[in-house]
Amino acid sequence: MSFTKSGLFWVLLGASLLVPSLVSSQGLPAEIKIGALETLTGDSSVYGLSIKNGLDLAFDEINAKGLLGSSKVKLVVIDEKADKQEGISVMNKLINDEKVSAIFGPTLSSVAFAADPVAQKAGVPVMGTSTTAVGITDMGDYIFRDSLPQSAFVPAPILAAKAKFGVKRAVLIFESTNEYAKSESEVFKAALRAAGIDLVATESYSHGDTDFRTQLNKLKLRKPDLLVISALAGEAVPLLQQAQEIGFAVPIVGGNGLNSPNVVKVAADAAEGLMVGAAWFRDSTAAASKAFVAAYKTKYSSVPDQFAAQAYTGAYLMATAIKNARSADRKAIRDALAKLSGIETVLGSFSFSEKRDPVHPSVTLVVKGGQYTLLP
Amino acid sequence: MDLTLLLDPTYLGQNLVDGLSRGAVYSVFALGFTLIFGILDIVNLAHAATYMWCAFAGWLVLTSLGLPLPLALLASMAAGALVAVGLEFLAFRPLRREGSDRLAPMISSIGASLILVSVAEAVFGSQTRRFPSSVLDPHPLLIGGPEGLRVTWAQVLIVSISLVLMASLGWFIRRTRTGMALRAVAASQKASRLLGINVNSIILTAFSVAGALAGAAGILVGLLTNNIFPGMGGQVELRGLAVVILGGMGSIEGAVVGGIVLGVIETFTIAYLPGGADFKDAVAFLLLFLILLVRPQGLFGQKSSVRA
Repeated sequence: MSFTKSGLFWVLLGASLLVPSLVSSQGLPAEIKIGALETLTGDSSVYGLSIKNGLDLAFDEINAKGLLGSSKVKLVVIDEKADKQEGISVMNKLINDEKVSAIFGPTLSSVAFAADPVAQKAGVPVMGTSTTAVGITDMGDYIFRDSLPQSAFVPAPILAAKAKFGVKRAVLIFESTNEYAKSESEVFKAALRAAGIDLVATESYSHGDTDFRTQLNKLKLRKPDLLVISALAGEAVPLLQQAQEIGFAVPIVGGNGLNSPNVVKVAADAAEGLMVGAAWFRDSTAAASKAFVAAYKTKYSSVPDQFAAQAYTGAYLMATAIKNARSADRKAIRDALAKLSGIETVLGSFSFSEKRDPVHPSVTLVVKGGQYTLLP
Repeated sequence: MDLTLLLDPTYLGQNLVDGLSRGAVYSVFALGFTLIFGILDIVNLAHAATYMWCAFAGWLVLTSLGLPLPLALLASMAAGALVAVGLEFLAFRPLRREGSDRLAPMISSIGASLILVSVAEAVFGSQTRRFPSSVLDPHPLLIGGPEGLRVTWAQVLIVSISLVLMASLGWFIRRTRTGMALRAVAASQKASRLLGINVNSIILTAFSVAGALAGAAGILVGLLTNNIFPGMGGQVELRGLAVVILGGMGSIEGAVVGGIVLGVIETFTIAYLPGGADFKDAVAFLLLFLILLVRPQGLFGQKSSVRA
């Protein structure tokens, strides 16, 4: 069965190569089809819709500016509904029916683990712009991502706190019933070790807990000079507020769950001084980032988030690879993507590592006056 | 962990304060549970959902209407009474016939609970709501200097309001005519009817009092933890049930003492056992089991033949 399926695929591929296509002066076809499978409905659609906006904006600009000469990119976005099966079928559809040259997505790592092997087998380059789980690019040499994994940006504020406050003794509290917080707390532990900071105590809590005073009091007893919190946004607010209530007056470093404007808004002055790491900062003064935020605001009348910025960056990376390859061929694009290095993007100077993971500077943010600001 | 640190008297005192305030909430919640159980012999599993709705009612009054806290407390209790009375009419009364078993109303209360939680999710979303920080002075009372005991205003309020509610409930049950009628109905609905007591209206009273207690617990927990969301009932439901069993089914003193015992045990498990937070429930329920081995009727329970 699998033999006939892949046999059919090769026949179709061969047939598609025989069809003469209009070729532009640069050796590129007049229209280059690029696919995207993103979560556009359901709970996680907030991410997918941001990503779609970022991609649309970037390819509109790329086509208008003529970055690829006279050839235009046609973006085909299909909803994968945050579902693994749906992800596989959409991936097949993009590859075999739409015959795209390259693919963006999926939105969630779980869907990527199901769908990306399809593209790897077919030899179609895929770029995730929001997948942060460990092992995404291990699925094969056609799999790329421009979203920094946890381990790349979460530890940055630890070093910043050490430099700023001379931290020697840290304590950690995390949710032991959440996989994300658990793996993040391991990243924090490794970062503390690497920074030469003693982790003198660790406490945990369970999903649904709301009273953290006892754990915080227990941690406070060890007289640490840094509190590290790995929590989801829901528990982040009471954790910050109760730490303030019990007089736990030490610098706080938070995980990705605490990098949320809503947390800072609700926790109010309990969030003051909180430090978090991030892949991108919306109010960055870098020219590329400012231009992106302005263009996004003009087109959508809203402010972009990190997901839109990463998708926008991904689109430019893809266009640059196609330009360098002088071809819309899938393998040629893959090879050109792998060679990208030192590209100026919204996320800063960008390169792909040997493992096709992103390499670009992360930022450390600190809450000041109820706003995230760049840590100087 | 260094033992001398843990034996620190301030730390011990702080954990007592925190355990008491945690337990006081369990007590108020369990009072409503035990009241309905004592009178109707049924477990109202929609009590936790009522409590959640009350927390939202209090939140709405505080944020949208901007009314002060005492009014929000009253509004929340009124909302609780209303929801509980609604439950009695829709979920319990239709099933109450002479000789009907106790399983049907329990199942119907589970259904009611699911509906209440789903409606809350539809209306409020699953996002967590918080009370505005202006409701209570966020600065705690310091007893014994800045390194001493810290008691938040929320904790002071919770313990004192709980005490007032428990005392008034005790007085109401023992000293008022309605309270006596309640106890009569609890003893025998048939005999009460023969004595000319309007059983249905007494049951309605019991539901509204239980609902009002759920309402008080809801807003108090909101103040203590600042975390209001449709699933919040799940955290207290099992504990409330445990408190009722620990204290003795239908016993008011039992609910009060049981709640405080559970709150203090939980807090001390987290505070004094390494990694205690991960098995605080296990320790609490193990102790519960041991107590019941020694006293199957609970701390204040009587043999079922002489209850109430």
